[in-house]
Amino acid sequence: MNSHLRFFLIVSLVAIQACTPPRLVPASLNYKNYPVTGNLEPDSSVLRMISFYSDSVNKKMDQVIGFAVNSLNKRQPEGVLGNFFTDAMMEMAARRFNRKVDVAVMNPGGIRSYISPGDITVGKIYQLMPFDNLLVLQEIKGSVLKAFLDHTASSGGWPVKGITMQIKNRKAVNIFIEGKPLDENAVYTMANSDYLANGGDYSEMLRPVPQLNLGYLFRDALIEYVQQLTKEGKPVSANLENRVSNAN
Amino acid sequence: MPIDRRAFIRNSGLATAALMAPAMLQAKATESSPTLTILHTNDVHSRLEPFPNDGSRNAGLGGVAARASMIAQIRKEASNVLLLDAGDMFQGTPYFNVYKGEPEIKAMSMMGYDAATMGNHDFDAGIDNFAQQLTHASFPILVCNYDFTGTPMEGKAHPYKIFQKGDIKVGVLGVGIELKGLVPENLSGKTSYQDPVIKANEVADELRKKHKCDMIICLSHLGDRYNDDRISDELLAKETYEIDLIIGAHTHRFFEEPRKYKNRKKSDVIVNQVGWAGIQLGRLDFVFNRSGKKDLAQSHTVVIGKKTSD
Repeated sequence: MNSHLRFFLIVSLVAIQACTPPRLVPASLNYKNYPVTGNLEPDSSVLRMISFYSDSVNKKMDQVIGFAVNSLNKRQPEGVLGNFFTDAMMEMAARRFNRKVDVAVMNPGGIRSYISPGDITVGKIYQLMPFDNLLVLQEIKGSVLKAFLDHTASSGGWPVKGITMQIKNRKAVNIFIEGKPLDENAVYTMANSDYLANGGDYSEMLRPVPQLNLGYLFRDALIEYVQQLTKEGKPVSANLENRVSNAN
Repeated sequence: MPIDRRAFIRNSGLATAALMAPAMLQAKATESSPTLTILHTNDVHSRLEPFPNDGSRNAGLGGVAARASMIAQIRKEASNVLLLDAGDMFQGTPYFNVYKGEPEIKAMSMMGYDAATMGNHDFDAGIDNFAQQLTHASFPILVCNYDFTGTPMEGKAHPYKIFQKGDIKVGVLGVGIELKGLVPENLSGKTSYQDPVIKANEVADELRKKHKCDMIICLSHLGDRYNDDRISDELLAKETYEIDLIIGAHTHRFFEEPRKYKNRKKSDVIVNQVGWAGIQLGRLDFVFNRSGKKDLAQSHTVVIGKKTSD
């Protein structure tokens, strides 16, 4: 192509473009979702920034807030660790919501660690409850509570407080609420995690029950409960008191 | 941005080769078909450090320092780069419980994020805290369907931002999820949620017609799709007119490949999401054609190429 012709073509192209300003249109796409791996040399200035914070985060996690004399473990139908959880739920919910709470229920799957004799650190509470679940209240009708307790019975018995019950043929029987037989028409105030209240762990029957929610983290409730025990000079513990048992 | 590039190059031969592949594709493109490289994250959830090496599924993955190196490397090879996040920067590690999001926002600023939208967990330490943490941000928060009037966020978020990347004019907007039932009212304050489809279409229309954007990107914290009729990226994509790309979040979905939907004008809308925790960095390289057509009602298609191999 001779240089004149080339020049002419270029000028023409520019002229055409000037008349009808072209819009750019996305026409094709290549993609890749990269794994962010440890094979990459980490950026040193970002690392430096993080280390400023990690030192004190670790300091916070290592902070001792209480102590245990005995081991606390999960067990079904009833265990000490589960009772510790529901004791804390009942106490701290009553305090934070400033009202009487009748019962508390926890799913064993939400308890992610165990307690050994010795110091209890903030980090230990994070291991026990890594989820950002909230402690909520539900005003629950006796008949719905019965259906919920049947569900806990069918999966081997869950930690409870304020309730005694037995498990028979995968159903909850002989249910007493604070010493009185469960009244299907009564309304009870139940401390719960928002996870279960939203239908988690197949607790679908709880989903329509309205929640009182103050954005109070379950984990913060546990930390505050342990701190309170320490203030009273008490170890982290709970009693086995036949809250849930298998019927003979 | 103070990045130790030499150390990076020295120590990451294999990774560099992996990063080079899309860049070579890009180099082939002529000036008449410019390329826009979009890097994106979602639901990082305060994962500043990699998952601990404890043999679990995600052991060693993620971490802002590794991500920063990766982004710096890509920026060296690609000319028109946008780095975006679709929300839930906060909550999930003790860092957030102690520092309420300060190191998360600082890390994103150091990486040079261009924009982010707000997720429901970004309200977790209260809306006043979020507004406070933005003093550490060098990037804007984009959300067009939360009315922050009378809250600490008033005037601190924007419905959209326009970026000029080479010849490409890019409009980026953001949409947030319904707060009711998800975020306690004492945390979201007087924030009022508005219909994301109506608001996103309004903003996208303005970006296309008034500001003549070539590409419109929506950062969305709605979630990719649901079994019920809740609004999702899938429904949003089908109900829009001008949005070209939705960067998704909330459902923590690792997409195998970007999804493609037809909008109201029968044009293609791309949706992508990269799981959570900064385990992945999403990369989308859009190649543009020049269209002489002034008629904006004209529909167009986007051809999705193969996944770039390592």
